[in-house]
Amino acid sequence: MTTARTLKLNLGPQHPSTHGVLRLILELEGEKILSCEPDIGYLHRGMEKMAEGLTYIQNLPTVDRIDYLSGCFYSELFCRTVEKALGITISEKSKIIRVTLLELNRIASHLLWIGAFLMDLGALSPFFYAMREREMILRFFEKLTGQRMMYNYFVFGGVRKDIDYIEDIAEIVRVLPEKIEDYEKIITDNPIFIQRTRGKGILKPETAFNNSITGANLRASGVNYDLRTTDELYKGFEFSPVVLDGKDSWTRYKARIMEIKESIKIIEQGLDKLKTCGKLEQKLINPLNIKLPEGEYYSEIEAPRGLASIFIKSTGEDKPYRLKWRTGSYYSINLLRELLIGEYLNDAIAIAGSLDIILPEADK
Amino acid sequence: MNIEKLKSIIEECELENDKITVKNKLHEVVNFLKTQLSFDMLKSITAVDLGDEIELIYNLFSVIDEEDALLSIKVKHEAESISDIFSSAKADENEIYDMFGINFLGNEDLKRLYMPENWEGFPLRKDYIQDDTRLAWNDNGENA
Repeated sequence: MTTARTLKLNLGPQHPSTHGVLRLILELEGEKILSCEPDIGYLHRGMEKMAEGLTYIQNLPTVDRIDYLSGCFYSELFCRTVEKALGITISEKSKIIRVTLLELNRIASHLLWIGAFLMDLGALSPFFYAMREREMILRFFEKLTGQRMMYNYFVFGGVRKDIDYIEDIAEIVRVLPEKIEDYEKIITDNPIFIQRTRGKGILKPETAFNNSITGANLRASGVNYDLRTTDELYKGFEFSPVVLDGKDSWTRYKARIMEIKESIKIIEQGLDKLKTCGKLEQKLINPLNIKLPEGEYYSEIEAPRGLASIFIKSTGEDKPYRLKWRTGSYYSINLLRELLIGEYLNDAIAIAGSLDIILPEADK
Repeated sequence: MNIEKLKSIIEECELENDKITVKNKLHEVVNFLKTQLSFDMLKSITAVDLGDEIELIYNLFSVIDEEDALLSIKVKHEAESISDIFSSAKADENEIYDMFGINFLGNEDLKRLYMPENWEGFPLRKDYIQDDTRLAWNDNGENA
């Protein structure tokens, strides 16, 4: 209830920091937030309904668009589920290519987040730096797949074509570590940045579990849960999940910076493997008459914004009977109801930004 | 997942394809899983329109044991809300309300989420209107 002493404030739907259209209805007493009601749905494209009307190969190009910053992950998820249902195993080299591209995609996604997050806080230069490095990755993807964001590169049974331009990836992993050092010099110990993020938006593990928060947000609250450690695809790759115990916005930033470093390690291993494994051999199936056997199929993957999963129910026809996506951002937005209470209005953007929310992913 | 432990509190549950099917007392079962068997996260709730009824699949997860539990219940128009057990259920139930029109008893915050407030029908139901004039691409109400 809005009383005479409280003020209802609409934050959004258009705001430069929301990377999409998110509306937060805040109730304020002075500058203190009493309640927060997120309103989403501005980017709803009906992905799940659309999927029911398309065959599996027709669905394949649409799945990248669930989240335009990490399209590879949703392609991988969809391909993996269809492969699992049809009992196809993919070749060793396809697996290595997939892991390498997934991690490159993760870095690109995290870089954009770092730039956008710092811009939320009023620092414009890191955005340009982050975009500059992200551009290298996007250029590589453009060369390889013809697309900068919606790659449509993974297909049922492997990848569309053999990987090329490996020297570009080598250049990216050579240049990136020193650039990350630069970011750390500018951002990590910056007193203004610390003032705006340290101790703000404390996310306790219990609250995170209760709100189904996963990914880097959960790991920055001290919980060691990274799906990649148990993922079949990542078998043979050495890396250690980033687990930090700060629970605040600053730690969530630090966790993502460290995750980029871990991803670079994985890509380096992928490059070494790619050099020795020769030409791509894979047996692709005819995509025009794919019919999944009757049943329910479920897969999940560690996407940049937390656990992403897909559920397909098939009745034995060439189209899915029901397809459901679970995306990390949807739950992060709903977490704001709890996380913003008692915080100040000028911290609201910083806290919402630190959760890495992407609206098309939440709206599906 | 120890189904025997679960059977001790509720008799009408069956296990098929790693999915526990319950007929009622959903709230009680979820509460038991959370408090007694440490399933502390609700990954998602999936709704599937089976024609005459709607199946709700609850995917619970134990972070400590890294173990999943699938819980299934078939409902018509109403279901028990578990939003007092898991906060994230509020979001899932709202999405299902918007897309399938299931009324979750005990969840006060149900509202249209993706669809406009005055929208009629629930898009992900199989009997959703096909020739909807609101989706017409020209003034004559023609549909693609």
